[in-house]
Amino acid sequence: MYKTEVRGSLIHGNKNYHQISTDIIAPIDQPIPLWWKAAMGISLLALLYGIVAIYLTVTVGIGTWGVNNSVAWGWEIINFVWWIGIGHAGTAFSIFLLILRQKWRTSINRAAEAMTVVAVGCAALFPAIHMGRIWLAFFIFPYPNTRGPLWVNYNSPLFWDFIAISAYLLISASFWYFGMVPDFATIRDRTKSKVKKAVYGFFAFGWTGSTKEWLRYESLSYVLGGIAAVLVVSVHSIVSTDFASSVIPGWHTTIFPPYFVVGAIFSGFAMVMTLMIIIRKLYKFQDYVTDSHLNAIAKILVFISLIMGTAYATEIFIAWYSGSQYEFFTFFNNRITGDYAFEFWAMVICNAFIPQLFWSKKIRSNLTAAFIISIFINIGMWYERFNIIVTSLSKDYLPSSWTTYHPTWVEIGFYVGTLGMFVAGVLLFFKYIPMIAISEVKGILKATTPGNDHKIHSHE
Amino acid sequence: MTIKFTAMNKQHIIGVFNEENELLSAIRRVKENGTEIAEIYTPYPIHEAIEAMGKKSRFSFAAFLFGFAGASGVLLFLMYTAVWDWPINYGGKPTNAFPSFIIVTIVLTILTITLASLFTFSVRAKVYPGKKFVMPDHRSMDDKFVIVFFAGSDTENEKLTNLLNEEGATEVYNKELQPLI
Repeated sequence: MYKTEVRGSLIHGNKNYHQISTDIIAPIDQPIPLWWKAAMGISLLALLYGIVAIYLTVTVGIGTWGVNNSVAWGWEIINFVWWIGIGHAGTAFSIFLLILRQKWRTSINRAAEAMTVVAVGCAALFPAIHMGRIWLAFFIFPYPNTRGPLWVNYNSPLFWDFIAISAYLLISASFWYFGMVPDFATIRDRTKSKVKKAVYGFFAFGWTGSTKEWLRYESLSYVLGGIAAVLVVSVHSIVSTDFASSVIPGWHTTIFPPYFVVGAIFSGFAMVMTLMIIIRKLYKFQDYVTDSHLNAIAKILVFISLIMGTAYATEIFIAWYSGSQYEFFTFFNNRITGDYAFEFWAMVICNAFIPQLFWSKKIRSNLTAAFIISIFINIGMWYERFNIIVTSLSKDYLPSSWTTYHPTWVEIGFYVGTLGMFVAGVLLFFKYIPMIAISEVKGILKATTPGNDHKIHSHE
Repeated sequence: MTIKFTAMNKQHIIGVFNEENELLSAIRRVKENGTEIAEIYTPYPIHEAIEAMGKKSRFSFAAFLFGFAGASGVLLFLMYTAVWDWPINYGGKPTNAFPSFIIVTIVLTILTITLASLFTFSVRAKVYPGKKFVMPDHRSMDDKFVIVFFAGSDTENEKLTNLLNEEGATEVYNKELQPLI
């Protein structure tokens, strides 16, 4: 039960149902603002750079990258894990908070899920192109073929990864779409434009809001929520087995699955915060994304930051306590000190120390500070993946094969391209899809606003 | 307000409310009188309204069946391909490496449940692309709570109209609707 006297109201401005629809649909009806066009132009340029980089990679080969025999995974896998991590938040946000009946999720889940779908799309590009011959990528499907039939190796974490990411992309996209159907119907019934009526009407699938539909809608959302919660935990655990099931020092540890899952949720929540602050500012959604919402995200971030700090400390402690000289070398001579000390300390400071500032209520409620801290977390999480991949690979058991790694402009271009793709995707979402789940916000309006009748809403 | 209703199958009485609690108290009184409700349209799910329509969903059971079918199907497929059809020696590991099949099984089971449940939802709730739909009052996905009844005899209709008005309906009107599906 949400107690307004303790936590304040979730929707400000004394809204009625009609105003909620009007406010949230407003960006779709208004003409495209100038900043949107400018941002879209920049992100399309970035995307173009990425397309050139991908073209070169596909036509010339992986030789255009800085990876070598020792550091065989460079920026591509760093960025892949980074994007997957960001993509974790949307579903984690919706699913865990849905199961826990947290009403504050209603203003944020739509944007978080949009972010998930775009980020997982960006992530999937990296391993696909890293295969080298992308036109043979279908080999990874277990299909009856003329080579035996030679089936795929189900013992390989790389195959698990392929299955997990494809399933995650499909499921989060369908969960997101399914949640939007009633809101598309709201747009269809309100708009005066014939084109919009036809387009949103098509995507609304003939939704009317009858009890027959709502009953199944609710039951389905809880079923999907329950099973997708397992998926959220399993996807990043599987990504971590790409590392943990190898015998590379710094990777071969049992802490990896929970460490990766928590890290992913950490970076995803930070990205949710970045995005919600931007949405709130640009579209003046202060009444829906209130200080109380951002405060809740900040509290989650400070908690996860402590877990991250503990995980870093545990790794270092075990590297020493295990007595394995290879583990010790990796952590003490190649991370804490050595060539990659900057990256290591950037990770620790950004992820374990800077978010501790959120303990202060003053900083939590200062949006500029919260925005900057959320950016720092995303940078820190990028460095974490750099640390894991590059430090462990650059100096392994044979000193004769030690090497350093620098990305080439093609690799940088690929990454910049996905950043462009992400921003372009998010901008399209801003313009064409209701950014806040209209029907869900209406459903919590009376129960979370003081002065309304609480009793009739006691069905939670 | 007196409205002349003609008792026809397609004739419906529509009550429009501004507030959820008004709709719910109207539902309670109508149920006491034993009048049949054709359908209720609301901007968001309201449990009491759903219960008043006497509907129950067996979704969780269906999802369990999908999961069971998905899990056994995937496991059988993995066993068939990796153990029976074309066993390959990967570094001396057993071909029937059962524990490592579990991961693929879990993920694909979740995928099966999701896709099959969405399909079932589409079929059962009749929500699909290009559907021809009947919406008694087009404001019900915005801010109105709409209750629809089959029209009866004139006296019954008048009684119903009065009841809805007493409970705070902002509008009560009759309308010819295609059969509600």
